[in-house]
Amino acid sequence: MDVNQAKQEHLLALKVMRLTKPTLFTNMPVTCEDRDLPGDLFSRLMKEDPSTVKGAESLMLGEMLTLPQNFGNIFLGETFSSYISVHNDSAQVVKDILVKADLQTSSQRLNLSASNSAVAELKPECCIDDVIHHEVKEIGTHILVCAVSYTTQSGEKLYFRKFFKFQVLKPLDVKTKFYNAETDEVFLEAQIQNITTSPMFMEKVSLEPSLMYNVTELNTVTAGDSGESTFGKMSYLQPMDTRQYLYCLKPKPEFAEKAGVIKGVTVIGKLDIVWKTNLGERGRLQTSQLQRMAPGYGDVRLSLELIPDTVNLEEPFDITCKITNCSERTMDLVLEMCNTSSIHWCGVSGRQLGKLSPSSSLYLPLKLLSSVQGLQSISGLRLTDTFLKRTYEYDDIAQVCVVCPFNGPDS
Amino acid sequence: MESHESQTPRPMSLDIVGDTGNNQSGDPALSEVSSAQPPEVVFQEENIDLDGEAFITPQDDSSSDNMLDKLNDQMMESVMISDSPNNSEDDTGHMESLLEQFEDGEDSEPKESECAEEMEEKAMVSPKITVEAPPPALEDEAADEEQQVSAMEREVEYAKPPEDTPSPRSTELQEPFDANKVTPKEEAIPVCTIFSQGNQQRAPGQALAPDGFQPALVKSPSFSSGVEASSRLAPLVCQPSPSLSKFFTDNGHVNPASDFFDSFTTSSSFISVSNPNAESMLPAGVAESQPSPTAVSPPAPHTTPQKPTTPSLLTAPPAPESLAQPGSAGTTLQPAFSQLQAVFSGSDDPFATALNMSEADRRYDAWLPSEETRKVLISVATQQHSPVFVERDRLSMPGLRFDNLQGDAVKDLMLRFLGEQASLKRQVFTASSVEQSFAGLQQLISTKNWRAAVDLTGRLLTAHGQGYGKSGQPTTHTADSLQLWFVRLALLTKLGLFQNAELEFEAFGNLDQPDLYYEYYPTAYPGRRGSVVPFSMRVLHADLPQYLGKPQESLDRLHSMKTVCQRILDNLEQGTAEDGSMISVTQENRQASIQLWRSQMYNSIVQHEPERKAQLLSGIGRIFLQIGDIKTAEKYFQEVEKACQAKGDGQNPDTYVLMNRAFVHLSQNSYSEAHVSFSEVLKIDPKNPVANNNAAVCLLYLGRLKESLGQLEGLVQRDPTLYLHESVLFNLTTMYELESSRSTQKKQALLEAVACREGDSFNAQCLKLVSS
Repeated sequence: MDVNQAKQEHLLALKVMRLTKPTLFTNMPVTCEDRDLPGDLFSRLMKEDPSTVKGAESLMLGEMLTLPQNFGNIFLGETFSSYISVHNDSAQVVKDILVKADLQTSSQRLNLSASNSAVAELKPECCIDDVIHHEVKEIGTHILVCAVSYTTQSGEKLYFRKFFKFQVLKPLDVKTKFYNAETDEVFLEAQIQNITTSPMFMEKVSLEPSLMYNVTELNTVTAGDSGESTFGKMSYLQPMDTRQYLYCLKPKPEFAEKAGVIKGVTVIGKLDIVWKTNLGERGRLQTSQLQRMAPGYGDVRLSLELIPDTVNLEEPFDITCKITNCSERTMDLVLEMCNTSSIHWCGVSGRQLGKLSPSSSLYLPLKLLSSVQGLQSISGLRLTDTFLKRTYEYDDIAQVCVVCPFNGPDS
Repeated sequence: MESHESQTPRPMSLDIVGDTGNNQSGDPALSEVSSAQPPEVVFQEENIDLDGEAFITPQDDSSSDNMLDKLNDQMMESVMISDSPNNSEDDTGHMESLLEQFEDGEDSEPKESECAEEMEEKAMVSPKITVEAPPPALEDEAADEEQQVSAMEREVEYAKPPEDTPSPRSTELQEPFDANKVTPKEEAIPVCTIFSQGNQQRAPGQALAPDGFQPALVKSPSFSSGVEASSRLAPLVCQPSPSLSKFFTDNGHVNPASDFFDSFTTSSSFISVSNPNAESMLPAGVAESQPSPTAVSPPAPHTTPQKPTTPSLLTAPPAPESLAQPGSAGTTLQPAFSQLQAVFSGSDDPFATALNMSEADRRYDAWLPSEETRKVLISVATQQHSPVFVERDRLSMPGLRFDNLQGDAVKDLMLRFLGEQASLKRQVFTASSVEQSFAGLQQLISTKNWRAAVDLTGRLLTAHGQGYGKSGQPTTHTADSLQLWFVRLALLTKLGLFQNAELEFEAFGNLDQPDLYYEYYPTAYPGRRGSVVPFSMRVLHADLPQYLGKPQESLDRLHSMKTVCQRILDNLEQGTAEDGSMISVTQENRQASIQLWRSQMYNSIVQHEPERKAQLLSGIGRIFLQIGDIKTAEKYFQEVEKACQAKGDGQNPDTYVLMNRAFVHLSQNSYSEAHVSFSEVLKIDPKNPVANNNAAVCLLYLGRLKESLGQLEGLVQRDPTLYLHESVLFNLTTMYELESSRSTQKKQALLEAVACREGDSFNAQCLKLVSS
């Protein structure tokens, strides 16, 4: 608490100012017509005002730059810039000045000074200037520690430090969701929310896939040559607004062959987000590696390779199933087909499908018909592994639309 | 491909790790999943090497449950991270408390630094503002004024202590009235009454307190005025100018109609519409129901609804017109009008003149009321003899909502920092020191004493019966009273007092109440149609919400305005009603308003005003820059360059191009290139204040504080008219603070410079004198 007295004794003064981007001065245009009471007063005043744009005085956003008005907020991924000025307030020349700026975070201490060499001497009313930059990589309290050491004319060595504390906040909230397609594609939906208090221009939101995948971004609609963003022309995100980005990931061919065996947790990749705010103040973040739990298929996976979307009532149609052995052992499979109230299978139930070795698959054409109109779910397939006497049931495999050919609009 | 959904929909919240070159992707501290909540950050004290002089103890910042709380907690208001971190926490809010803090130890000793002296020297050059005493006979002066607007004359009376005799004019004019019932006032203060004389004479409580906000001082004229007038004067014609007139001075003689902003007869006797609100003695019912009766004054003093003495002329025209008016009926309207004109043209009849003059008015007044309002207006027009009853909530009932604005922040600061002596040198106009009239108001506006101007509008409106506490009471509008409201609200907006403006705008609703249309006052404004509300006021009304954080509402209002404008344009294109003047007005005003809310509308404006293309496109570009969309901004800037090239190589285009380039450099963090570009602008246009200021700002970002400071200081001293601007001064004071511990003295020098140049609307906060 003797700080102030201590300060008085020092010959040098240290001043620190955070340098966010300057802002453009906005004026408050109020227009009126000449026949209104103020006549041309308003427009004259606006013309005289140096901050207005000549020729377009009623534009609110002028060209005059103003320095940052307060410390503001600083967010993870942004760059912290600061002006450090050491001014000689005294009347004497001061020697051997060393200014050191460190940034203390919760986990580390970084040296931010441009140079660590001492300045030989500083005359009265002169100052040492430094602009430091640091890309903020941690959330939470940061402390800028500025230390100044110098020697007075009388040879006395003096030293003082100042601490400037600030908080680094999280700018974005990211949530993800995976959708596994029946093919081996994976769809990633990422919701990115702006949790700052100012609009953000999203310059880049991309998914950097892991080795196993190729990625297609589904955030543009191709119209002609140029893709148009699904978010429309406005590329910025208002405070608390959320945007959904969609990506489609396909396993690379070398991995796709073993698709049947992609199991458990796999690394998909990470999101890389670059945003800009006021006058190009830039921020960049990456998410941690996104991980996806591959869907469990059990021992035997049955998927559909071919199925019509619309069929006629009581008319047989063909489907093709793909049966993959996902287990570690060979299976001997028997297929049973059970009719439901609407689905009737054609052919013999209980037929032998033969042996199926691990990770291999077979294609199975089947014929069936529906006795009920409407959207019908295909169910009733049963596979039994005769080695283990284990039965796998497959219901609701897919849906078909059953129409009556006589009343149908097309026929 | 059928998607059998074997999906695993698990929303998960990710931890974000700063993208770092040195790659700390899996920082354990951060990677614990905290769903949508900010991770708990607990600062570890031991990490900091805090020794004896360490005075900040890192607080435990365990995050509050609410992100917003957190944001607020951590907001640091002051740029200058002040000397001691302890202070840095306290710095916030000093701006606000600016006026309260009056003692300050270190500032009591005024030290004149060299710098301060220089500033003073410069300050001498500036013209001294002298306060003129209010002239006793204002009407003479007013008569001299050539300006159209000021031609709306007004009458000024002095409030007199009760024992005083009524002013000579009134006695000469009329039989004595009870002006002496005036509420006693301590000092003679000029008071304006914006009624025409008839009203005034009758109003017992005309005189106002200096603050102008005593309720119910103004009394309505009602019928007796008619009596008086009729007793002395020849034919009574309903007088359309209810406005501030000083008619009684040359009582009964021909008033040059041209003097009157919205009068259109040359006839002698002027009787104006009284304000029912002011007529507090009337039973409420009467007051409410009375749009028409008072104005027309036949000899018979106290008969209630009056028949116009010139009945055929008066009653006939308004009705057909009002009927014709509604939207589609534009077609019928035009013929009706020309017919009427044909009838009257060439005759001496004052009313014919009236019709002709209203042509011009009509252009500007044109507005399409909503269906409901239109019905009311029609019924007003058709039922002239039995006044239409309009529900109260369909009427606008404005009144002042707050008292006088506190005076002069600059003076307060001077008092505090430079002492009483110095502060006495600060002399600006106040509401009391100018004529209580439109001319005075204009004087205040042009000398940038907007606060005083707001006060003055308050006084004038009080005189009109719409003063403090009058909101919610039925009242009568005139073109002048609404102009006053417009000026008042516009100035409030300019002063950044948005809440106040909004509060007072409230009563006007969406500016569509029936009593805001001329048709509502068929006797006061016979034959005049359209909106009493000036178009500019509508624009202001639409603009206001965006300043209050409700841009959506602004957009809505603008769009609905646009719709009406479009309909008017359509009517015009079909060769019917409103003429072309509306186009330019509309577009131009829109320009002011859209600002934040984007470029499409701007683009359409660009088409309308090709000569301003460069400025507008640059403006759009800057908007994109401001939100950070540099690519799109560059596209617009390229268009600017094209446009400039197309124009040939004039000087101005070059500055636009260079300026834009500088901004792009700036947004790419290349301050040195930005500085080069700004300097190039200065080569072409050395006096360009924007480029000068911006170049200085760039220097600071390059770590060249002294140079930057020197440049700005030099500018302010050499050319104070250009550079004593809020933004420049703010930059300068910020640099002072950064430069040395003795910023206060330097700021005081600026304060002195400001004091002799700027009016009371100067934003003294930019000097940052309190926080130092």
